[in-house]
Amino acid sequence: MWIVRPARHEDLAGIEQLVVGQGPSVSTTLPQSRDKLSERIDQSLRSLADDPSLKQGERFLFVLEDVETGRVHGTAGIDVHAGLGQPFYNYRCDELIHSSHELGVSNRVEVLYPTHELTGRSLLCSFAIDRALRGQPAFELLSRARLLFMAQHRERFTDELIVEIQGVQDEDGQSPFWDSLGRHFFNMDFATADYYSAIKSKTFIAELMPPHPIYVTLLSDAARQAIGRPYEAAAQTLQLLQREGFSAGRHIDIFDGGPVLECRLNDLYSVKNHRLKTVKRGDASRGLAYMIANGENEDFRCGLANVSDGIGDVIRLHNDVADVLRVNDNDDVAMIAL
Amino acid sequence: MLVIRPIRNKDLDALYGMAEEAGVGVTSLPANRDLLARRIAQAEDAIEQRVAPEHARYFFAMEDLDTGRCAGVCGIDARVGLDDVWYNYRVSTMVNASSELGIHVQTPTLFLTNDMTNCSELCSLYLAEPYRQGGNGLFLSRCRSLFLADFQEFFSDKIFAEMRGYSDEEGRSPFWEALGRRFFSMEFQDADYLTGLGNKSFIAELMPKYPIYLPLLPKAAREVIGKVHDNTRPALHMLEEEGFNFNGLVDIFDGGPVLEAFVRNIRAVRESFNRHALVSRQEVETPLTADNTVLVSNGSFRDFRVIRLPASCVRADTISIPAKAAQALQISSGDVVRIVALKDKHVANVPKRRFS
Repeated sequence: MWIVRPARHEDLAGIEQLVVGQGPSVSTTLPQSRDKLSERIDQSLRSLADDPSLKQGERFLFVLEDVETGRVHGTAGIDVHAGLGQPFYNYRCDELIHSSHELGVSNRVEVLYPTHELTGRSLLCSFAIDRALRGQPAFELLSRARLLFMAQHRERFTDELIVEIQGVQDEDGQSPFWDSLGRHFFNMDFATADYYSAIKSKTFIAELMPPHPIYVTLLSDAARQAIGRPYEAAAQTLQLLQREGFSAGRHIDIFDGGPVLECRLNDLYSVKNHRLKTVKRGDASRGLAYMIANGENEDFRCGLANVSDGIGDVIRLHNDVADVLRVNDNDDVAMIAL
Repeated sequence: MLVIRPIRNKDLDALYGMAEEAGVGVTSLPANRDLLARRIAQAEDAIEQRVAPEHARYFFAMEDLDTGRCAGVCGIDARVGLDDVWYNYRVSTMVNASSELGIHVQTPTLFLTNDMTNCSELCSLYLAEPYRQGGNGLFLSRCRSLFLADFQEFFSDKIFAEMRGYSDEEGRSPFWEALGRRFFSMEFQDADYLTGLGNKSFIAELMPKYPIYLPLLPKAAREVIGKVHDNTRPALHMLEEEGFNFNGLVDIFDGGPVLEAFVRNIRAVRESFNRHALVSRQEVETPLTADNTVLVSNGSFRDFRVIRLPASCVRADTISIPAKAAQALQISSGDVVRIVALKDKHVANVPKRRFS
C-alpha cells in the first residue's frame, strides 16, 4: 500500500537518493546536499508542530512510502509563503504598445518585468518521484495528497496558490532561456546556478539578476520559445495540476522561463469535491480506488485504498488500511476518488 | 581664396547639392529643399539676433571667392533639446557581484538619456568633394572655435559633436539591425531622415525606454558601439586633437560616439589671441600648409568672417594682412582680429582611439 506522510529524519538517505537522480532544475526539486535536506526535514517537522519561531518560514515536506518495504519513493512539499519571508522573484510577461500616430506604426513589444508580487502565496514545490512510478496511481497520490492536507488545514494556507513548472531543457540539461539571459550575469551554466540556488536560496540568486525589464525581442529564438513552456518531463505533473484547476498566468520562472501556475485554494478540484466521513473499521476491501487522509499534523497520512463509498457519513475501512492511516472508529477522514 | 561667412539664402542650391552628395547617415543635412531653406532662414535669424541666444542655430558657409561658390558648410546649435527632446544612449556599467559565489560580472548597459539637453552642438559639417584637400576640412571645422571664443556667453559651457556611427559598405548599421529595427519597423535611412527633419516625437513613441543589457545584443552590434564610420575618422581625429573626448554617450540609431569638451578648454579657443590688423599691399608668397597656417577672424558677430594666412604674417603686436584678405575679412588697418594656429604643433601624433 502507498501512503503519503510527513518526512522524518530517518527518510534522509532515501530522499537523497531520489534527489541525486533528478538532474538540474531550479526551484522545483530539493537541494542536492545532505545538510540542506536535513534542514528541510527539520523545517517541515517544526512547521507541523507550529513552531512560532518559523514566522513566515513554514514549509511542509511529505514523502511517498511503500508501506510494505518502508522505502521512500517520492517527495512533495508546500511552502506556506512563497519566498519564506524573503522576496519570491518571477518575471511577469507583459506587452507594451509602442505606437506613433504620425507614422501609422503600432508595435506590440513584449517585456519581461522582474517582480515579486507572488511573494507570500502558498507554493506547491519539491515534487520528486521515482521514475518507475511516473504514470502510476502513486504519482497522482503523491501530488494530490498535499491538496487534501491543505483542505483539512485550510487556515494554514493562503487563498491563492502557485506552483512552478520546470522550464525547457535540452538533453544536456542546458536551459535555452538561462543561456540567453541569466548566464550573461553569472558566468555560470544552468546546473551550477541551480546548485547555488538550492544551497543559498533562490532569492539569493534572484537578487543577483538584472533589475531592469527585459525586451523579449532581444533574446535568442530558442529562449523566446521557452518562455512559459513546460519541460516535457514535467508534462504529467502539469496535466494533473491542470485537472485540479491550476492554469498558467503571466508569470514565469526567472531562471528557466518555465510557467507559474495559479489557482485559488477553494477552486481546487480536490478541495471542492473531497468529502469528510466517519471511519468504521472492518474487513471490507472492495470498491474503487480512493485517496483517504486523516486530519492530523505530524501524523498526517494519506493512503490509496479500495473502498465502496456509500451515501451516508460513514466509510468502512479495512483494519489494515485503518492501521496504516492511524485512524480508529469514529475518527474523521477526508476522501476523494483517484 | 576661401572665406567663412554666415550662410545666406543664395547658398540654397549649393547646400541642396551637398546634402544630396552626403547621403544617409549625415543626419543633420537631409536632402530636403524646404527643410534646408528653413535651416538657412533660422541661421539668418540667429546671426541677425532675431531669436533669443539659446534658440540660435548658427550656420556658416565656406565660399570660394574665385568662383563665388559655396564649397562647404558648418554649424553650431546654441542649445539642443529645448524645443524637442534630445536622445542619446549612455553606455553605463552594471556590476553583478557576490563574494560568496565568486562572481564579479560587469555588464555594459545602455540607458536612454536626455543628458545633452541644454548643451551647444557642433553640427552639419560638410565639405564638397573637390575641396577635400589642403587642410580645408580643418579650416571649415575649426573656424567655429574663433566664433565660440568671441561669443562664449551665447553658448553653454560644454559643447559636443555627434559622430556618424559605423555602417558597412552597403550602408547597413549593425547597431540599428540589432536594436532600432526591432522597435521601429522601418529602415535605418527612414529613421535617420525623419530625425533630420526634426521629427523626433516618433523616437519617444517607439524607442525602448528601459535599459538595454549589451550582452543581449549580437557581437556585431556590441563591437560598433562608440565606433565611427570610416569616412568620419578624420573628423574624429580633428576633434580629438582639439581636446574633445568621447563622453560615454552614443547615438540611439547607429551607436556613433558623442565627443564633448568644455568650450574654454578647446585648444583653438584657449590658444587664440588678438592682434591689430596691418593691411599690407604685399601679396603673400608663402604657400599655405596645415602646419604654418593661422586662422584669422574679424571678431564680428553679424558679419563674421574667417580666412587663412601663413603664420609668418603674425608679428609681436600686429598681423600683416594682404589687401585682398583684408577685404574678405571686411577689416581695415587698426581693427582687432582674432588669430589661432590651425594645428596645435604640440600634438602632431595623437594616439589612435578604440572603443569596444
